[in-house]
Amino acid sequence: MKLRCLLLALLAVAGAATAQDIRLPDYERVVLDNGAVLLLAEKHDVPLIGMRATMRGGSVTDPADKAGLSHLLAAALQKGAGGRDAAAFAEAAASVGGFVDVAAALESTDLTAEFLSRDVELMIELVADLLMRPALAEDEFEKERERASALISAARDGSVGGLMPAYAGAFIFGDHAYGKAPRGSESTLAAIEHADLQHHYEAHFGGDRLILSVVGDFDLAAMKARLSEVFGAWEAASGELPTLEPAPRIEGRRVLLVDKPGAQQTYFWMGNVGVGIDYAQRADLRIANTLFGGRFTSMLMTALRVEAGLTYGARSAVAQHSTPGHVTIRSSAETAMTVEAIDMAIALLGKLHEDGADEEMVASARNYIMGQFPPTLETAASLATTFAWLELYGLGRDYIDTYGTALEAVTPETLAAAVGDVYPVSDNLLIVLVGDAEAIRDAVARYGPVTEMSITEPRFRPASE
Amino acid sequence: MSLFSELRRRNVFKVALLYAVASWLLVWVVRRSVDGLGLSPWISDYMLLLLAVGFPVALIFAWTYEITPAGLQKAVAVDQTQSIVYKTGQKLNAAVAVLAVLGFAAVIGERLLPEFTPPPKETLEEFPIRPVFDFSARADVPKEIASFNLPNGLEVIVWPDHDIPNVALYYFVRAGGRNEYPGVTGIAHFFEHMMFNGTKSRDQGEFDSEMEAAGGANNASTSKDVTVYMDWFPRSALETVIELESDRLLNLAIDRGVVETERGAVYSERRQRIDDSNFGILFEQMFANAYVAHPYQNPVIGWPTDIENWTQQDLEDFFRTYYAPNNITMIFSGDVTPEEIYLLADQYFSPIPRQHPPPAITIVEPGQRGERRFVIEKDAQTPLLHVAFHGGAADDEDALQRSLLLSILGEGDSSRLHRALVEEEGLAVSVGVYDSAGFDPGLVYFYLTLPPGGDVAAAEARLLEELDRAATQGVDEAELEKARNLQLAAFWRELETIRGKASALGNYEVFNGDYETLFAVPEKLAETTPEALQSVAAAMFRRENMTVGILHAPAGDEAQ
Repeated sequence: MKLRCLLLALLAVAGAATAQDIRLPDYERVVLDNGAVLLLAEKHDVPLIGMRATMRGGSVTDPADKAGLSHLLAAALQKGAGGRDAAAFAEAAASVGGFVDVAAALESTDLTAEFLSRDVELMIELVADLLMRPALAEDEFEKERERASALISAARDGSVGGLMPAYAGAFIFGDHAYGKAPRGSESTLAAIEHADLQHHYEAHFGGDRLILSVVGDFDLAAMKARLSEVFGAWEAASGELPTLEPAPRIEGRRVLLVDKPGAQQTYFWMGNVGVGIDYAQRADLRIANTLFGGRFTSMLMTALRVEAGLTYGARSAVAQHSTPGHVTIRSSAETAMTVEAIDMAIALLGKLHEDGADEEMVASARNYIMGQFPPTLETAASLATTFAWLELYGLGRDYIDTYGTALEAVTPETLAAAVGDVYPVSDNLLIVLVGDAEAIRDAVARYGPVTEMSITEPRFRPASE
Repeated sequence: MSLFSELRRRNVFKVALLYAVASWLLVWVVRRSVDGLGLSPWISDYMLLLLAVGFPVALIFAWTYEITPAGLQKAVAVDQTQSIVYKTGQKLNAAVAVLAVLGFAAVIGERLLPEFTPPPKETLEEFPIRPVFDFSARADVPKEIASFNLPNGLEVIVWPDHDIPNVALYYFVRAGGRNEYPGVTGIAHFFEHMMFNGTKSRDQGEFDSEMEAAGGANNASTSKDVTVYMDWFPRSALETVIELESDRLLNLAIDRGVVETERGAVYSERRQRIDDSNFGILFEQMFANAYVAHPYQNPVIGWPTDIENWTQQDLEDFFRTYYAPNNITMIFSGDVTPEEIYLLADQYFSPIPRQHPPPAITIVEPGQRGERRFVIEKDAQTPLLHVAFHGGAADDEDALQRSLLLSILGEGDSSRLHRALVEEEGLAVSVGVYDSAGFDPGLVYFYLTLPPGGDVAAAEARLLEELDRAATQGVDEAELEKARNLQLAAFWRELETIRGKASALGNYEVFNGDYETLFAVPEKLAETTPEALQSVAAAMFRRENMTVGILHAPAGDEAQ
């Protein structure tokens, strides 16, 4: 019985290992005269249409002292457009069961919409109004600015997980464009005026910045004609996209300690600058991170949670943008166990560099990645998002279509090379801790010079910087 | 001459022995034939009766008659000097020996041969399939859904969907916070963790490493009513995953050392979700205040001292009682067929023994006898206001009306509460609505985050004004139509993915008693009326049915 199960398991593993590449569904790419790019595909399994409008730009275009400007613009765009005020606009989408949402990311501002297919005309009208004819009313802007600021303060009172990217981004990237918190901080939001919003919109919204991806239950030829008509005449944005230099990697160790008095746990991120989206060994990197901290049986989760019971979660992540993003280890531990958990994570980073992975581990991670991949392309909305993302970074459909082949080619040797390229050695780490400073201040000094700030400071970097 | 030696001389003992050996062999052969040829088991019973009746007859016959060279003669008439009873005795001995050897060989042979297994029930006709959903008005009804029950009570539902080569397996164990009592609060959630921590043949971690190596991923969640296990995997891993699930349901090891490590992980989860979060602290206290009798008053993650103190025996009892096949509903959705799922389920899940049904939870929360109110003073930049009313259960007749009412009040930027509190008056920076309805009546729960220095009393007054308006003036048809459309879109969005399908089928089967009710949602939405929503609001939004929880910084300690 047991032998039979083992054989079946081996067969299953072998079957998955020889699985073919997963192909993206076909989609049509159309470039309009004004530079706008349309990406279109039909999908008829449910009566829904998913849309993703990606505007090149994003929070890297925010002035350093006005971080959060793109985020505020994204919020303000939803507060009235075309002939509708904020209430009427929200009502128009919700009344038919649709939604439109806009959010600023680092290098793009992304609109997501989903409507029942019977309401396709309304969807196009609302999205076109929002992007090309926003009201950007001053009173709505003021409310959004106050609200955005209050929500950050509320997050400081809650589970701080949502704030870690802002602290870590600022600490790792410093004055680089990636160091700005995409949602800003209380202090940078307070510096933003209504005129800034209007100016930012004109500088960074226009037909040449638009990638419009639509997937779902519609007729492709009709959709192409309609979108070409609606968006083809949109003028170009007046500003330039910034040219980013790669952020420097940091040598040595430094600690940022954010004091949250009374916190029962210490939450930590540690890492450094990694690699960009153009990193050639993408499959090696993905397998390495899956093994290190990207799934439940990863090295980090096994050691810190399963074996030691120190934490609920321990992960690693690699952020890749047009230039190198961060590589980070993320976890938490009871205040008294802070040092033990951090030491363990640092030791595992060393082990990743020294031992790498063997054939069996590589095969397991490869199967895991390929096994979990198809559901990420299951819905109209997820396909629309994928098409737009590929276009934003100029990757083309091959990036997906050859993924399986690229994963097949990974060996322990190529993986070890990627680990060396991407992950910092344990001597070069920026460590961000949020916890009860009085209880851990002295103990964490062992990791390097400590900069301390209070969680209630209205910013994500020390005031002295 | 004694009777004994005469019995021996006339071979009566030897005949008795021969009769017994021959009878045993005969019965054995007939019983095997009955099993193998599908004959009526009555045949072997009759045979046994006849042989029993024949036994004394044979003995009397052996006493009375004797075999002689001239044939059968009465023993008393035979000349003792000519008697050949000795030779007859030798023949009888030989016959007994031959029959005994034959019987022995047959029994041993049967043990050595592979056991005979009846052919699997492969035809769909033999499935106890329920009537498939069949609405004449809609052509898009999923007729491919099939369900069946194993003899041990395990209920299985299959929704084939071949769009992607993947499968979602969800199973719902009817065990949650509702099944706990003081001393073991949090044990259902803790057990969810233990289900990943090793079986009698697999060490801790092997469940996950085997599943992930085959391309699968998993998770689980515990609520006040159920514990749900979820596996997402490529089709190629189907049997691997089923075998892994079968193994942990059949052979879970509850290792004492592992229990201690896991207490640490769960405590960390508690600190993260509750103790280090103002929202979590207020939320936990709200249930503790709003319920006085029903176990919904306990946090799913458990009170800290219970996390520290439940025992090995508590865990073993819990597993036996609740992780029984007759207490589980299992859903497969994705690239599978009902036929293959039936065969695999029969093979891997049938050996799990049925248990006595868990004790029924009969307690009913008594009607609230007056408004309750509590205030937590704690470091906070932004005050929090939570207001809850006792509502209904998931399968109440007015559950759909309740959910439409809450959608009108609190779903999205165009909802009444968002417009009034956030957009128009700036009294709150966010408003959320949540209905904890389960097997038993839950809380209809409004949670507001105020701006720094916000006026809690003003926010509460404005919230209650809106709730009273819904109760006294109702909602208009346009608002109801919006709420219907939002739910319809959500319905389709959920059914767009295999994980959504598995989750929806399971929730409707477990909480509404029948997965088919899921597909009646669009039609039921159309039947709702503004009047019905108003009466739900009027029944619920009464002050004596209300609990208010406030969290703010101590006086004089307000942030900026």
